[in-house]
Amino acid sequence: MRRKNLFKLVLLVVLLGWALYQLYPTYRVSNLEKKQKAYLGQLSRLVGVDERQLLSALTVGELEATVSAASAPLPAEARQQARELSGKLITLRSKIDKLEPKALRQGLDLVGGTYLVYEADLRQLARTLARDRDERFSEILDAADKRARAENRDFFDVMVEEFKARNIPLNRYYGRRGQSDDVIINDLRAEAKDGIARTLEVLRNRIDQFGVSEPVIAPQGDKRIVIELAGVQDIERAKRIINTTALLEFKLVREPDITLSVLQDIDKTVKRMRSKGGVEELAAAAQKDTAKTLPEGKKAQEREIDLSQLFGKTEGADTAKAEAAAESTIVVDQQTFEEYPFFSLLRYVEGTDQISVPEQNVAAIKRILQMPEVQKVIPRDAEFLWGAQPYVSRGQRYHQLYFVKKEPELVGAYLKTADVAFGGGESSVRAGQAEVHFELNSEGAKIFRRVTGANVGRFLAIVLDGKVYSAPRIKERIPGGSGRIEGSFTREEARDLAVVLRAGALPAPVEVIEERTVGPSLGQDSIEKGKLSAIIGAALVVVFMIVYYRMSGVIANVALALNIFFLFAALAGLRATLTLPGVAGIVLTVGMAVDANVLIFERIREELRTGKTIRAAIDAGYSRAFRTILDSNVTTLITAVVLYQFGSGPVRGFATTLSIGLIINMYTAIVVTRMIFDYITERYALTKLSI
Amino acid sequence: MQLFKQTSIDFLRMRKAAYTFSGVLILAGLISLIAHGGPRYGIDFRGGTSIVLEFKEQVSVGQVRASLAKIGFGTAEIKASTSLRGAGAGSDILIRVEQGELSGEQVAEKIKEQLAKDLPDKSYEVLSIESVGPKIGAELRRAATLAIFISLLLILIYISWRFEFRFAVGAVVALFHDVLITLGIFSLLNMEISLVVVAAFLTLVGYSLNDTIVVFDRIRENLKLMRRENIYTIVNTSINQSLSRTVITALTTLMVLVVLFFIGGRVIHGFAFALLIGITIGTYSSIFVASPIVVAWQGWLERRKLHREVARA
Repeated sequence: MRRKNLFKLVLLVVLLGWALYQLYPTYRVSNLEKKQKAYLGQLSRLVGVDERQLLSALTVGELEATVSAASAPLPAEARQQARELSGKLITLRSKIDKLEPKALRQGLDLVGGTYLVYEADLRQLARTLARDRDERFSEILDAADKRARAENRDFFDVMVEEFKARNIPLNRYYGRRGQSDDVIINDLRAEAKDGIARTLEVLRNRIDQFGVSEPVIAPQGDKRIVIELAGVQDIERAKRIINTTALLEFKLVREPDITLSVLQDIDKTVKRMRSKGGVEELAAAAQKDTAKTLPEGKKAQEREIDLSQLFGKTEGADTAKAEAAAESTIVVDQQTFEEYPFFSLLRYVEGTDQISVPEQNVAAIKRILQMPEVQKVIPRDAEFLWGAQPYVSRGQRYHQLYFVKKEPELVGAYLKTADVAFGGGESSVRAGQAEVHFELNSEGAKIFRRVTGANVGRFLAIVLDGKVYSAPRIKERIPGGSGRIEGSFTREEARDLAVVLRAGALPAPVEVIEERTVGPSLGQDSIEKGKLSAIIGAALVVVFMIVYYRMSGVIANVALALNIFFLFAALAGLRATLTLPGVAGIVLTVGMAVDANVLIFERIREELRTGKTIRAAIDAGYSRAFRTILDSNVTTLITAVVLYQFGSGPVRGFATTLSIGLIINMYTAIVVTRMIFDYITERYALTKLSI
Repeated sequence: MQLFKQTSIDFLRMRKAAYTFSGVLILAGLISLIAHGGPRYGIDFRGGTSIVLEFKEQVSVGQVRASLAKIGFGTAEIKASTSLRGAGAGSDILIRVEQGELSGEQVAEKIKEQLAKDLPDKSYEVLSIESVGPKIGAELRRAATLAIFISLLLILIYISWRFEFRFAVGAVVALFHDVLITLGIFSLLNMEISLVVVAAFLTLVGYSLNDTIVVFDRIRENLKLMRRENIYTIVNTSINQSLSRTVITALTTLMVLVVLFFIGGRVIHGFAFALLIGITIGTYSSIFVASPIVVAWQGWLERRKLHREVARA
């Protein structure tokens, strides 16, 4: 008996520890969010921008720009303060972003945001996969699509039927001669599945660019994709970004001398603008025509400076020592900075087309490039593009910047396949290295042959959605229409790139079939009300239990408290999403959770009435009530599982909460209360049970 | 404290009255459902766009309707409720537009444009926009119905296995009874069935069963203990013995639901309401409907056996 109890106690302690571990990040996040709210309030009062607007700017990473725009007319001191605040907010946000994946996820109805359901057009997909499409084929597909919609059936099932009804074998359009319909339709299904996976990948890529923290992008069924963007209120913008067609392009990198002269032009422009900004000591320098000589790779003496030195009045490098400064400083070569304010932000190795930008400078470069004056000096037929991934060299993260011709030489429509491959033996350096092989269709191959032939020695940037994935040097004319992208990829990176390439364009068009936005105030209000009703509801039950069962009621309440605690921990651990119906489910659990204890206690009372001793009554009460509790919970569990299977969204969340709640409830109401009873009856010789 | 000492109420004697009561409720609900042409589905199931605006000051439904009529949304459902921020602070306006050519966001855009034109001095905030395609709505409806039926079937199997088939019949009849009455009351009050309400119905299925099974468990136990007694007495005793548990559990759950209903906020209002009715009905049915049916079924079987024997003789 003793040993059994000891084991139970150890289990309980372990569970408690686990629950604390699960809930700690959630606790931290909610504290940080409170701090964030306070800062946002301060900042909002300071710069006069709506708090909510600031929050959405923060979530999509545009806070600095928003704040500096809004604080421009303010006195220097206020601007400084605003900058510091936004710096703090950004630091805070990054902390929250790190913790968030471990914290309890809150549904859109609680935090506000956008919910979208996309559906892939399987008819279009079936069309693109077919060959020798003719009038009759389109007719069959349209009929199948219409019927599948009307009868709410699987598209491919209906499609097979339609083909059969017309006595046309599927291999007329798909697969190989002699292949049976079953085999072909299975292949089609597999292709469709792959298509959804690719669509998912494309959408994920695009949403990542959107900068939302923790987006939910999940397949639903076999042709739908659910997207949840917490904190994004602008549904139109979200849809615009999601719906932009991914474009794979091959663009020639501009010749080094052209690139260099453009960089110098930008330098001049920036310098002129700085001087206009009121930095007197530089005014004179701006008059002079800047020398065409560029600093050779001399030992650069680097220091950190504040962004304000570049964009606003110089207030000395020491003004912003606060946390905020760390976020907005840039790394420059001190000597070259004064002379070449733009160029000094870059790392340019002459003779190649490689421009690298230290990570800290990226924001500054982006802003310079966006300036209308700078835009004017960039030739119309060329553009700057960023590399897709940063690379690390000697502990410093760099982003690549490419200056490419605007007009693509080739677009992704000509791409046939892309796969991961490993470098062959022709070069010992490349042997065994992961690379991406791609193959173009015949038309694409023709163009590729011409382009590579005419540009040997130059670099060809592989651009997807406006980002350069790699820019290999063309070594020779490539006749076969296949090529490879080399780089220092790991196997995974190569695979991802292949996926991205294949995913370049959506395999099938998608349409939005469901959209919801929840305003943040409704979210906030829901939380407040949910919390309040949960607290009041729980308090009522707790008081009732004590009044009705006295000491035993207290024990039941301990179990109840543990129940709720474990439930939240389990939800956090499972990364379940807490929605409003979920909160209601939890509140309801509170009401129903005492059921097991009521059953047990009523039974104990009955047993006591028949004249049993306290120990015997407790034993009998527990063992007799157990079967009833089990039976009644199993039936509820059945409904929960069915709910989960058939439900979607909020219903699923509810089912999850319900089933976890039931299991935890069985543990706390039966095992934990029993432990306490055992402890008390073993310790004290009770003459009367307070029940 | 104890609400009930050992009671010995003859519940089974009241079964006729209970059947009548249930019958009237179900009939009223069915008539209402037929009159309304089925349950009033919310946007989740019907498709369409719904927009909730929170006006800073009082705005009448008439004003909004007059404005929206100009852009062809005259038939839209427009409802006002007191603002979330409390009484007197302004009003919330819910606008619901049936599925048409426009997407949800286009509808919202048009509405915003028109309101800016007609009510330029009334400022508001968009609380939520929801738009559901008609197809997904139909699918959800099908999934929800299927979910309820499949869980009923599984429960029938489980109870038949754990108890006997006649218990399963009693439990499932009680379940249908509870869901039907709750649905009927929703229809009578012209309340809307949303996805969340369906979740409530399914919770109700679980809860109602839970309640019924506690009584059944007692009956099963007493069938062994009181072999000499007839089924009528056994069932009656069992209901009485589990009465205090039944009432207390219903009470604690109802306490929470009342709180949820009154202060839980708009979003869970329907959910709380469905459960409030459902749990009251469920508690009633586990006493007055499920167990009497077990007795009735038994009686019917015995009569049939008797008839056969008579016929054979």
